Amino acid sequence: MKRLLNKTLLYYTVFATIILLLSIPFLYWMMEKLYTDDVDEAILLRKKEFVTNNLRSLRINDIPVWNKFNRDIRILPDTVLSKPKDSIIQEIFFDEMVPEWEPYRVLYTKVQIENQPYILMIQLNLVESEDLIKTIIRLYLGILFSLLLVIFFITRFISNRLWKPFYDTLEKVKQFNLEQHNQPQFTVTKIKEFDQLNASLDKLIRSNLRSYTSQKKFTQNAAHELQTPLAVFQSKLDLLLQDKSLTQAQSVILQSLYEAASRLSRINKNLLLLAKIENNQFTEVSSFRLNELIEQSVPYFTEQATPKELVIEQSIQSDIALQANQGLAEIMLNNLLLNAIRHNIEKGIIEIRVQDRMLEVSNTGGSHALDAGGLFKRFGNSQTDAHNSGLGLAIVKEICDRYGWVVHYRFVLDRHVFSVKF
Amino acid sequence: MKILIIEDEEELAKSIMAYLKDENCLCEFAFNLKNALEKIDQYSYDCILLDIMLPGGDGLKLLEELKRQHKEEWVIIISAKDSVEDTIKGLNIGANDYLPKPFHLAELSARIYSVIRRKQFGNTNKALLNELEIDLLTKKVTVNDEPVPLTKTEFDLLLFFVGNKNRVISKSILAEHLFGDMWDMLNNDDFVYERIKNLKRKLADAGCKDYIKTAYGIGYKWAS
Repeated sequence: MKRLLNKTLLYYTVFATIILLLSIPFLYWMMEKLYTDDVDEAILLRKKEFVTNNLRSLRINDIPVWNKFNRDIRILPDTVLSKPKDSIIQEIFFDEMVPEWEPYRVLYTKVQIENQPYILMIQLNLVESEDLIKTIIRLYLGILFSLLLVIFFITRFISNRLWKPFYDTLEKVKQFNLEQHNQPQFTVTKIKEFDQLNASLDKLIRSNLRSYTSQKKFTQNAAHELQTPLAVFQSKLDLLLQDKSLTQAQSVILQSLYEAASRLSRINKNLLLLAKIENNQFTEVSSFRLNELIEQSVPYFTEQATPKELVIEQSIQSDIALQANQGLAEIMLNNLLLNAIRHNIEKGIIEIRVQDRMLEVSNTGGSHALDAGGLFKRFGNSQTDAHNSGLGLAIVKEICDRYGWVVHYRFVLDRHVFSVKF
Repeated sequence: MKILIIEDEEELAKSIMAYLKDENCLCEFAFNLKNALEKIDQYSYDCILLDIMLPGGDGLKLLEELKRQHKEEWVIIISAKDSVEDTIKGLNIGANDYLPKPFHLAELSARIYSVIRRKQFGNTNKALLNELEIDLLTKKVTVNDEPVPLTKTEFDLLLFFVGNKNRVISKSILAEHLFGDMWDMLNNDDFVYERIKNLKRKLADAGCKDYIKTAYGIGYKWAS
């Protein structure tokens, strides 16, 4: 990706160079034409001079002498030439002085000397003109090039200044985080477009924040409001279960109701937990060792893993000290371990690995990698069973985000690996 | 045994009363703070179930009032306001236990049971059920003065049953009681079954009658 400014300058340079290069032949042609016209005028002037001053007094006998002393105006016998008359043409002659072939402008015209027809030839060398043209073009290009260079730097300077509010806004938008809930304060600018940009962004962010907050509030309120009806529902189930006249068939229905109610209250509790983490309600922070939490949890999970005959392997190679809410860290660890048990296969393996500042919980399970994108989303997992609230990993993610830990999923060698980098 | 239920949700209060009435409990209601304050002013109770969010004011005020009057009611907070601060505040002011909504009546009954035992028996804290004696403080169980070695889970189970005598308790409630917040993440039915089997065996080995019966295949019941 190129910077906008560099892009502008690149275009500018390319087009300027092309125009400059194209202008050289045009310039050369123009200069040459101007000079040729000038030379032609000089030739015509000389002819006029010759006709007015010299022609009348010139005798045939004088011709050899004239030709001897005049290199550029010569009188030739009428017989020699089949060249066009009275128009200036361009010819190349060999110059013995230099010595090389050089371009000349030449005029042939008929004159009468002592009533004898002669041809007057007037020629002017163009060599000097070429040098002149070259010099002029060099000078011109020099000026143009320095002008270009100056304009280049001025443009850069001005663009930098002009775009400053834009980059400023960009940086602030980049740093904006919906969850941290900090409305960015854009610098005031006098440029209309940037001012409009800032105003629009401000509006957009504000409404985003508003809907984010209200969505969060809604979830929390909904979960809260559900607590009481759920409590009533569960209490009625508990009462119904005491009914002496309950039949076997009814009790089976009751059991299903119990399970549904449990699941409902679990989802609700987890939603509330998520809301509480989001709302920063776990403010109590202490120092503790992750290894200690693992030591505490493993016996419980070993017990939980027995029905599936799972083997829990531990590879503890470092000691991780954490500064966080211990309750949340426990929830995170427990959810990871529960996840590893629940999605495991019979006689599978769970490996807990602690290395450097990294915790890894890997388990055998389905033979395909899971969709890492949806995995940590709320209810992102399509396969739900009665014991899954669909929020366990979302809670893990939320806790990790809260403390700047990085949770990651990958599928390696038929193992599902969840890692947390502290 | 007199219990005051301070709860604005009438249906819930009714359920609690219906559930507890077998335990020869006398339950009274208060649906708002004013009503509740009047009640504690006039009568004394063994146990108060207190909802914190009440029409007419914060339930914590009632705790303060109890403290001011030097009353010795035992208070269990039942609340949908799932906030750690409020819990800590409530427990600091003088509540004895905290039960977040939604809860199971069996859980509530077990909590009331232990609260009342603690209150009634003072330092000894012993519950007697025929040949069975449970020391709530030292967590020791004896049958005909013979000690029964129980694990922590088994002791918890026993206490839960004793707190819900003659009532059917569903397996999922037992699982929830034993595993707390993590209970429903896994399939714990087998696990509960194993624990109950062990508990029954240990009690039977010690010469205790078989009080724990299965009920309708969905739960268990302590029949005595």
